[in-house]
Amino acid sequence: MGSNIHVGIDLGTSNSAIALFDGETASVVANAAGEPLTPSVVRIDARGGRTVGRRAQRALDGDPANTRGEWKRLMGTAERLPFESAGAALLPEELSAEVIKSLLADVRDAAGFTPRAAVISTPALFELPQNHATTRAGRLAGLEDVVLIQEPIASAISAGWRADQEGTWLVFDLGGGTLDVSLLETTDGRLRVLDHAGDNFLGGKDMDGALVEWAAAALARRGGDVVGDRASARGRRMLARLRVACEQAKIELSRASHAAISLSDSARDGGAFDLEITRDELDVLTAPFIARSLAAVRVLLAKNHRTPDEVARVVLVGGPTLMPGLRARIGELFGGHLAAGVDPMTIVARGAALYAGSVGLDATPAARAPAPAAGLAVRIEHPSVTADLEPFVVGRCLPALGQTLPDRVRVERDDGKWAGAETPLSPEGSFVVQVRLDRSRRNTFRVRAFDRAGADVKLAAGAFSIVHGVSIGDPPLARAIGVARADDSTQIYFAKGTPLPARRTFAHHTVRPIAAGSDDDALAVPIVQGESVRAHRNRLIGMLHLRGVAHDLPAGSRIEVTLELDRSGQLATRADVPGTGQTFADVAFVLVPTATVETAERELASTNRRAGDVQGRTFQLGVPAAVQAIADVSALLAEAERALPLARAGDLDAGQKLHRLLMDANGALDDAEALLEWPDLDAEARRCKMTYTPLVAQWGTPAEQQLYEQELEAAARARTRNDAVELELHLDAMRGLGRAAYCRDPRSMTDAIDWAAAHVTEAMNVAAATRLLDRARALQAHESLVDQAGGGLRTLRAIVAEIWELFPSSPELQAKSFDSGIR
Amino acid sequence: MTADTDDVENLLRARLENPFLVLEVAPAAGGAEIERQGQRLLAELAAGLDGARRYPTPFGARARTAELVRAAIAELRDPARRLVHEWWAGGLEHAR
Repeated sequence: MGSNIHVGIDLGTSNSAIALFDGETASVVANAAGEPLTPSVVRIDARGGRTVGRRAQRALDGDPANTRGEWKRLMGTAERLPFESAGAALLPEELSAEVIKSLLADVRDAAGFTPRAAVISTPALFELPQNHATTRAGRLAGLEDVVLIQEPIASAISAGWRADQEGTWLVFDLGGGTLDVSLLETTDGRLRVLDHAGDNFLGGKDMDGALVEWAAAALARRGGDVVGDRASARGRRMLARLRVACEQAKIELSRASHAAISLSDSARDGGAFDLEITRDELDVLTAPFIARSLAAVRVLLAKNHRTPDEVARVVLVGGPTLMPGLRARIGELFGGHLAAGVDPMTIVARGAALYAGSVGLDATPAARAPAPAAGLAVRIEHPSVTADLEPFVVGRCLPALGQTLPDRVRVERDDGKWAGAETPLSPEGSFVVQVRLDRSRRNTFRVRAFDRAGADVKLAAGAFSIVHGVSIGDPPLARAIGVARADDSTQIYFAKGTPLPARRTFAHHTVRPIAAGSDDDALAVPIVQGESVRAHRNRLIGMLHLRGVAHDLPAGSRIEVTLELDRSGQLATRADVPGTGQTFADVAFVLVPTATVETAERELASTNRRAGDVQGRTFQLGVPAAVQAIADVSALLAEAERALPLARAGDLDAGQKLHRLLMDANGALDDAEALLEWPDLDAEARRCKMTYTPLVAQWGTPAEQQLYEQELEAAARARTRNDAVELELHLDAMRGLGRAAYCRDPRSMTDAIDWAAAHVTEAMNVAAATRLLDRARALQAHESLVDQAGGGLRTLRAIVAEIWELFPSSPELQAKSFDSGIR
Repeated sequence: MTADTDDVENLLRARLENPFLVLEVAPAAGGAEIERQGQRLLAELAAGLDGARRYPTPFGARARTAELVRAAIAELRDPARRLVHEWWAGGLEHAR
């Protein structure tokens, strides 16, 4: 570990940065121009030549058709951004890959090697498709291993990874296009994210926009309408220049009380314009945006039952946080607890590099690693970074042919101030020891091995290092992930907050037969993201298709679905069919939907109607929590109305914004509807209890009875707390247990046969269902069902199970649950 | 009907992955003890130690993986979620 280097990348909307961590310090690598920040701008010329960074940024003004910037909001979409002269069109992740390649080249120039692995930061509000696109960007740039970290966590690590300060932290990250506010907590040296909030459409760009409008109006009042027709080529060019000049003035105002906005227009005689702006004027212009950002902070604090006084430290991240007006307002709110000595522009990259160190992600290529020394091979497992002063270290000796295992080992710290006791090896050649760390530094250890006579046994690699510092938990999953079932229920695989990587398998059954060898006949397993047990309320993020099965699969065939998320949130999905031994791993990721403007327009109209309906019912029923849930819906829809004309004019960013606003509005309406439906759910809870409690008591196995009791109690607690999501989860479990118990009641056979006989024409295969019914009736007539141990009852149960599988799920429910083909 | 058996199986799977069971620590264990035990199990699993690969439950031994251990540590870091797991662990203890 001594020569390991860890790399962190901040892939920003406006600027990107790369940092290295060598186990002691994290430092930012300057680009070829000697700057720590590389503008996230790409230019492709007519011959296909690619330029990244400052040089490309200069071309934004003069050559906008071949230069692109600010595509981060489009990550995870299928929008290709055109470069006219080269006749090329690149996906957002392909553009990000160009920036990463440029950053990796800077490391090669500075450190002499091209990194093979890196941690890349993403906004806390990024969802799976955007994270997936970011990982892909890293891979396209040549990285073999990519790990993602949420930007606020990276900032907090960077600001306090060696600090002994415990308590609640707030990270306020205002970037070019997004605001992320995160609440973190350090307890016993462990850093944990409590919650985060933000605004995907609030950033420095919006402030620049306000400044541009102010400057254009001021110049027009002075008789110099410098922009003119904004739709014309000249207008667009002048607007871009004015934007650059305004941004420059805004940066100057962070240091000075006055700044000039200078603009030249070569198309006009002597066309130079100068305008002066004061810091006070800028403060007035940016006040609405600052108020919006502080409102997000207050909401986050209130939601987590914290007051500003309880926040021990506030970390400011992003260029706009350099504005004195913004710093003053945040300082007022938090009584001046701003973290000092932190560079808001490079903090994220440094934190990402530190995180790479904490997860042991070495960036050095294999060719640079030292060749293994001669001796007995030993594998040593230990934490890279830990808050524990006495962590465990586990080792295992791996003798080659002819080598013998040592008798015992001892671990010694390189500074000579600590050595452990001699520990005997287990018969499998392993040892477990506790080592002692020196506080807040890198500790290097050496394992020494001895034979029975006490002579040294040479080890091939017995040295390792552990850094004592803030320990960071595995990255938590931002939203729950599960599988939609044909009855519109969700089998949650990973709850919100599950640490990554994670892997889980659950058993399901197919709801219809699948013909062998047919590629057209696919059974769908929809993967959804969201907390609701109602599948349609969640968001479809992927679809696993079972197609081309080797043998006919009858309805009701068992399939085991495995979902696996790596540390970066990349999803791998697999379905195993035990009956045929086949495995399917054909997952297609759903991108962030980019509906056409016409679709978005229709959706806006329907959301407006839905909002009216929900609002009406909310006030009619007088449910205060529902009133609160829809408080922001009007503002979201008004914002969507404003974004619509821009989207119609071809602004991709506005189209994306429109889509997200509609999603947020519909999410709030879902929450309100769930609250309005609470009385029905409460009644359903009472009905479930009355129906299933006696059944489970009489027919359930001891394990089922035990589980049912606990589910019943958990449901009662959810009812007390009015927690609809939690209650639905426990009711689902109670129904499952109740139905399983009911199936053991001999009378259930009669009920099921009577029901099937009455609905036989609805079966997927009427002839087969009729044949099975005839067999069941014959068996009923000859066997005594009172004898529960009788073979007749078992046969009858198997026949009823077969009949049951011949009945399709409700088509309405199946359609709602993304045409799921499994139960 | 078979789907109902799956429901029970899936439910058992979820409940028997209780973090206290996975980490083999008592519901009263302190934060530092939980972190240290979790880190120890992760190291043992990474080193391929046989003893770390299974953990006892009231319904028989189950396979223990690094993912399960990491999830268990994270669950118990959150005070609200820890309370819920303490409650379930108490119930499962009765079932022994």
